[in-house]
Amino acid sequence: MYTLGIDIGSTTSKCVLLEDGNKIIATSLVVAGIGTNGGIKCMNEVLENAKVKREEIAYIIATGYGRKNFSEANGELSELSCHAKGVHFADPEVRTIIDIGGQDAKVIRLNSKGILENFLMNDKCAAGTGRFLDVMATILQVPIAEFETQARSTKEPAKISSTCTVFAESEVISQLANGSKVECVIAGICNSVASRVAGLAKRVGVKEEVFMSGGVARNGGVRDALERELQVSIKYSEHSQLMGALGAALFAYEKIGAAE
Amino acid sequence: MGEEAKPKYIPDPNSAKAKLGKIAKEHYDNLWIAKEKGEMIGWCASNFPQEIFQTLGLTVCYPENQAAAIAARGGGGRLCEVAEGEGYSNDICAYARISIAYSQVKDIEEQNMPQPDYLLCCNNICNCMIKWYENLAKELNIPMILIDIPFNPDYKVSKEEIAYVKGQFLDAIRQLEEITGKKWSDEKFEEIMKISNRTSKAWLEATSFCKYNPSPLNGFDLMNHMAVAVCARGTVEAAEAFELLAKEYEESVKNGTSTFRAEEKHRIMFEGIACWPHLRFTATELKSRGINLVATIYADAFGFIYDDFDGLIEAYCNVPNAINLEHARDKRTAIVKNNKVEGLLVHVNRSCKLWSGFMYEMSRQIAEECNVPLSTFDGDQADPRNFSEAQYETRVQALTEIMEANKGVR
Amino acid sequence: MAALQDILQEFHRIAASPQEQMKHYLAQNKKIVVCSPVYTPEEVIHSMGLLPFGTWGTDMEIKEAKAYFPAFICSVMQSILELGIKGAFDGASAIVIPSLCDSLKCLGQNWKYAVPGIEFVPMTYPQNRNTTYGKEFTKAGYQRVIADLERITGETFEDEKLHKSIEIYNAHNQAMREFSEYAKNYSVITAADRNAVFKSAFFLEKSEHTALINQLLEALKETELADVKKIRIVTSGILADAKELLAILNDNNIQVVADDIAQESRQYRVDCPIAATALDRLAEKFATMNNCSVLYDVNKGRASYLTELVQENKADGIIYALTKFCDPEEFDYVVVKKICEEKEIPLLLIEVDRQMVNYEQVRTAVQTFSEMLG
Repeated sequence: MYTLGIDIGSTTSKCVLLEDGNKIIATSLVVAGIGTNGGIKCMNEVLENAKVKREEIAYIIATGYGRKNFSEANGELSELSCHAKGVHFADPEVRTIIDIGGQDAKVIRLNSKGILENFLMNDKCAAGTGRFLDVMATILQVPIAEFETQARSTKEPAKISSTCTVFAESEVISQLANGSKVECVIAGICNSVASRVAGLAKRVGVKEEVFMSGGVARNGGVRDALERELQVSIKYSEHSQLMGALGAALFAYEKIGAAE
Repeated sequence: MGEEAKPKYIPDPNSAKAKLGKIAKEHYDNLWIAKEKGEMIGWCASNFPQEIFQTLGLTVCYPENQAAAIAARGGGGRLCEVAEGEGYSNDICAYARISIAYSQVKDIEEQNMPQPDYLLCCNNICNCMIKWYENLAKELNIPMILIDIPFNPDYKVSKEEIAYVKGQFLDAIRQLEEITGKKWSDEKFEEIMKISNRTSKAWLEATSFCKYNPSPLNGFDLMNHMAVAVCARGTVEAAEAFELLAKEYEESVKNGTSTFRAEEKHRIMFEGIACWPHLRFTATELKSRGINLVATIYADAFGFIYDDFDGLIEAYCNVPNAINLEHARDKRTAIVKNNKVEGLLVHVNRSCKLWSGFMYEMSRQIAEECNVPLSTFDGDQADPRNFSEAQYETRVQALTEIMEANKGVR
Repeated sequence: MAALQDILQEFHRIAASPQEQMKHYLAQNKKIVVCSPVYTPEEVIHSMGLLPFGTWGTDMEIKEAKAYFPAFICSVMQSILELGIKGAFDGASAIVIPSLCDSLKCLGQNWKYAVPGIEFVPMTYPQNRNTTYGKEFTKAGYQRVIADLERITGETFEDEKLHKSIEIYNAHNQAMREFSEYAKNYSVITAADRNAVFKSAFFLEKSEHTALINQLLEALKETELADVKKIRIVTSGILADAKELLAILNDNNIQVVADDIAQESRQYRVDCPIAATALDRLAEKFATMNNCSVLYDVNKGRASYLTELVQENKADGIIYALTKFCDPEEFDYVVVKKICEEKEIPLLLIEVDRQMVNYEQVRTAVQTFSEMLG
């Protein structure tokens, strides 16, 4: 029996197709999020990859900011519950998930059964989110994908201390004006994001193992900085972006189980 | 902290600066000695009526001074983050965050002080103080005494307010006798009031030298000396040191020297608490343009002159943050005129809602009444993350250009 | 059922149209005194034949007030000033602003210059309030308000009349408590309904509001209790009146079973006891008030009070709606958080303010919380 989880975020849509609640058949990722046809595209792609027909899917759960507007879904759940579920399936040892997405940062604590124990989201300020990194990438004219290698290439990160995005912007500009190297500034930016998110994590209480997910997790510069800030090692998977969709597919399977 | 980083300069041990530095240092040393002797230590708000515990002979220290010192030495951001990790919002006053964090961390390199056995709070500077001390009292499970001095919406202190504060004052004495086992003496109280007046007079006298043109002092000096005005107002040593300071300034005026080591081209009033984490930058930006700080409301903040008990209470009701806009404005207007101030630089301090919350309107009125230009900048007394060098530089530059234009320099 | 919905609609109508209500009273030649948060002595104003008209600001874009307040002052103050500048209170005789927090102190000072047409009347309360000298000072504060209002409106104060007004206000307190107690079990009363009942109290003369509440209670008593499983929540904070927020609570199957919201139940917990004079009664009331972030309490009793609310009302958790930039609430949050961790009470923190446009994060947080509890 097939179930499908779809995670429609602010900039990307992700799908996971699951067989019998334990086997991942196919996944897809489309760079088009909420307010686009990214959701449908993403679903069609996963079906095509797996050579499975829409009618064969027993249950679909949508998650992510676009979860309310996906008419194909049978149900919807918050991305925090889905993330916890997905990560627990992939790695049952994980107790803390740090998820930094485009719009917000979240810290999730889960128990040994993969059930959400506690969580906290960032405050209204954009510092410590993917948007902050986007703004900085635009100023520096360096693609975010390059942040990791750049940050790792220096041992002298610049000090970017401002918590306000506007102030940080001017701080970055003055750092560059004063002759700081771009890689040092990038390392400083990664540290700044990490320090904000670490504060959030400390409020919830960090329990090992720690796993990082969300779009920003791909950025090794931020991961390194977070490890230093929290003094724990942080797990990461290439598939971390898919954890929400995976969790949704697992929940979809449970729904069917409960119904039967 | 107002000077440049030059080869370590050791002041003449007989100078006021050295004496004040010694008092500030001994203040901390004495705390540890007292703690070791088993004496109870109080943590105390800067504008708590110190006459009470000086008379009782209690040993107290000042979290606000400590937080400023920590911030000036670069530890502000780190401790703020500790408090934020506990759940304190980064919108809360940074002194409070630093102090609460310190009560948990207990040992840091910037500035240690003994943990408290009781708390003395007075909200004549802000109500945030109450919340900060409430949380400390709860966390540490120790007694707290609050002398509530409400914000006065009127120009004059009413007899009802005096009666209310007096009632609390007497209660506080009784409670402190119970907590510490020390006894109150009316004679000692008379003596302490005399010394406090002497210190305050000397402090006000010293700060008044800013009015000379050029001023014999760099106004940032006052922000450092203020620590002694806070922590040792009731001591003869402090009185003597400030008297000496005034004498030195008098000499400087005669000799045409100054601790402001640049040509004094412009004279400004700096409004608000210093940005301790960026003190050097903020001071240097001014000095490099020949701008000296010749007026600050700080001088008034710690000058308590009175004749009797009622007068003492009235003085504590009239501290700068407890008075209404008109009273606060007129005090500043008088200083601006008296000290021949040519521009206002206003620190919109993220940490201090009360000091910033009606500052826009008040500074507009002062600028208009005194016909001087006004520039504001965003900053913070202790959280390094709420300040932008680029913004400060631009604002100071703009202020300078207007002051120059006013003088027909260009 | 129709009757119940009609009555609820009336509450919604009043809560949503304060300016219409003002016009309505002004047309009856009533003199209006605007009452700012928090704990303005409405009884005194009422007894002088004036109409106390409450305001907690409103959800709006702040423009004019920015000339007076820096951005880090809470949006309750910002929007009250904005409303004043924009003329929303035109026709009122005065505004009474107590100074129980630092931002309120600033609101009063700014008001004098931003809205010169409506006179500012300060109300100064003591923090050491439950002492002989504290009560005397509270009375002095009331007397100051009385003197100002007599001068501004030409009306006079009589202690005997204050006794009568106190009875009206005590009866209203009682009705509000009864409503809260009743409403918690009726899933037909949504979070938005509950808020409308509380919010409308500020825009009606209190005996009129009590009458309306009593109608509502009658209608509720005739309504059958539906057997619906809801997530039972206690709310806490300064205010939680944003339309979107209330809808999100509803969407996630949440029943507000009790509140510790300043704009809601904190107003109605304590009645005026018997005392020598009516003014003494009022001072006694203030002296015994507690469990509020702007009232000094060295024991931080509010935190344990909240856990009691949870137990008494069999709640599943607490939503702490933190008004952005409200430092009294920010300090209390940490103490509340600790006690909730000790007692294993689920606690959700959400930040709210009056200029919020995007509620998506709040939606996700509330949904996750309800999934966690459900």
